[in-house]
Amino acid sequence: MNSIRLLPRRIYAFIARDFRLFVSYRMQFLLRILSILTVVTTLFFISKIFAGFTDPRYSQWRDPLASWLTGLAVLNYFMTGFSSLANSIRQEQVQGTLESVLLTPINLPTIVVASSAWDFLETTFFSFLYLFFGRVFFNVHYRGSFFLALMFLLLTTLVLASLGILSASFAMVFKRGDPFGIFLGAGSALFSGVFFPTQLLRDYAGPNLGRVSLILPATYGLDGIRQVLIEGHDLMQVKDPLITLLIFLVLLLPFSLWVFGRAVRRAKREGSLIQY
Amino acid sequence: MSSSAQQANLVQQTVKTPRGDPAISISNLSKTYPIPFRRMRAFFRRPVKQPVEALRDVSFEVYPGEIFGLIGRNGAGKTTLTKIVATLVQPTEGTVIVRGYDSVRNDEHVRREIGLAGAEERSFYWRLTAEQNLLFFARLHGLRDRLAKKRMQELFARLELEDAAQRRFGELSTGNKQRLAIARSLLANPAVLLLDEPTRSLDPLAAARMREMIQSLAQQDPPVTILFTSHNLAEVETLCARVAIISRGQIRAIDTPASLRNFTSRSELIHLTVSGIDADQATQARGSRDDFTVATTNRDAITISFSRRSGDEQLDDVLRVLQQLGARVLDVEAERSTLFDVLERYETDDVET
Repeated sequence: MNSIRLLPRRIYAFIARDFRLFVSYRMQFLLRILSILTVVTTLFFISKIFAGFTDPRYSQWRDPLASWLTGLAVLNYFMTGFSSLANSIRQEQVQGTLESVLLTPINLPTIVVASSAWDFLETTFFSFLYLFFGRVFFNVHYRGSFFLALMFLLLTTLVLASLGILSASFAMVFKRGDPFGIFLGAGSALFSGVFFPTQLLRDYAGPNLGRVSLILPATYGLDGIRQVLIEGHDLMQVKDPLITLLIFLVLLLPFSLWVFGRAVRRAKREGSLIQY
Repeated sequence: MSSSAQQANLVQQTVKTPRGDPAISISNLSKTYPIPFRRMRAFFRRPVKQPVEALRDVSFEVYPGEIFGLIGRNGAGKTTLTKIVATLVQPTEGTVIVRGYDSVRNDEHVRREIGLAGAEERSFYWRLTAEQNLLFFARLHGLRDRLAKKRMQELFARLELEDAAQRRFGELSTGNKQRLAIARSLLANPAVLLLDEPTRSLDPLAAARMREMIQSLAQQDPPVTILFTSHNLAEVETLCARVAIISRGQIRAIDTPASLRNFTSRSELIHLTVSGIDADQATQARGSRDDFTVATTNRDAITISFSRRSGDEQLDDVLRVLQQLGARVLDVEAERSTLFDVLERYETDDVET
């Protein structure tokens, strides 16, 4: 009960700490904004090559720039959900501060939520920039319910965060060489339809490789968000990817928290909390 | 009585002393660090190391307001023991109870009761200021900002860190980094404080002030219970009410520093520098003593040396004879065994066995 009451203060503690650390590297912030603007501009010119060539089967890709920008913004968010906790644990191990954090009366779920909080805020800002630059400088239009899109974003991020907790468990025990990171990091960009429709995978690489996209939660998240923002679909029309994401969440979240708890106990048994 | 039986007796004797409920109670604690993926390594016929036994059957209690010293060589098990009490490492067997809470089952409660100041410099965020670092940890302890800032001001003043408060941790001197670690350990007013070499990087004056502060913490109301590890044995002797000697993961003795010294050797070597008599006259004070020596220090003085058991009458006897001879005592020195001798003896015993 006490932990729940103190949760907001502890999340705030992590956010304030990470914000201070973030602003201690001011140049990095400006350069990142500039790099997003450069990427959006480059994609705008590439999209001009495809003007008039869009296959009618790929309804979400009539305006490739809109699809790429939603893809990149959302992928950015998904990757944060997936990698934030593991990175944060690894960073605390490298810095040697993990023991100091674990020495405070803070429980595991709080660590999981609080250590990723700043990353999500930061990513929300930078992901928004992709869409904002597209709208303001290149006249990209989005339609449909932003609330529904946000629900998809949240749900997919939670599913990927569950995988992120598994990844953090690997970081806790094995320190480096996390298979989830390799599979999901490289896999999501290729198989989830960030840069091209997933149907192309089936058409060109065969049905077996095409099925890989079906086991990635990011595929359903991206599909749902694009259906809402680009095609303007409502809740009933996007119920299939929504239900699939909910099933992923129900299965993965409790399992990943259980694995993380065991990983911390193992590190405590081996005395390897601050090793990296 | 054999040496090991005497040691066992010494441990038993003090552990049973009743002083109310202990603040820290350690029972049959053992810790063996496992070798990760041992079976897998064996399966692939890779060389497999033996698990490291860091602690074996350690038991003792620390009472409220007591400063309890833990001494031993590097690798003796002091840090492992401290980390188990702090819930950072899980024991293989045995229990640690801190103010009624089990360190494994109620680890969150235990962490509310303790503060740990270790010798690890990397435990802070180097790009944050001293104040920002402390505020972060205060918030994790659940302190409201106003209370946290007030507490931080008190600690900065008490530890003479006011000038360092706005400086980045990475820019602080080693001594200030160490003081900041102590300040962090005191943020939530813990009832139990675990101090790992708290004066290691401090200058002599700062170290003396730190010792005063540690003593005052143990004497305040309510008192803070302190488990203290240090390689500075003189400091341990000055500060600690009781000391445990740990060697190769086992507690070899627990008692007051004075009793531990007497356990190694109850005798002390007395050196008297006297004038007004010559060496021949001084030998009249020998009596039946075998180890009585007289040496000429310079033209005007001689030095008489002999051993005695603590508190016996030999010194009085010798002084009486010298007074009768008309000698003037210029200086008296007593060479007693120290905790270093005690520690050395247990190490030698361990190597021999």
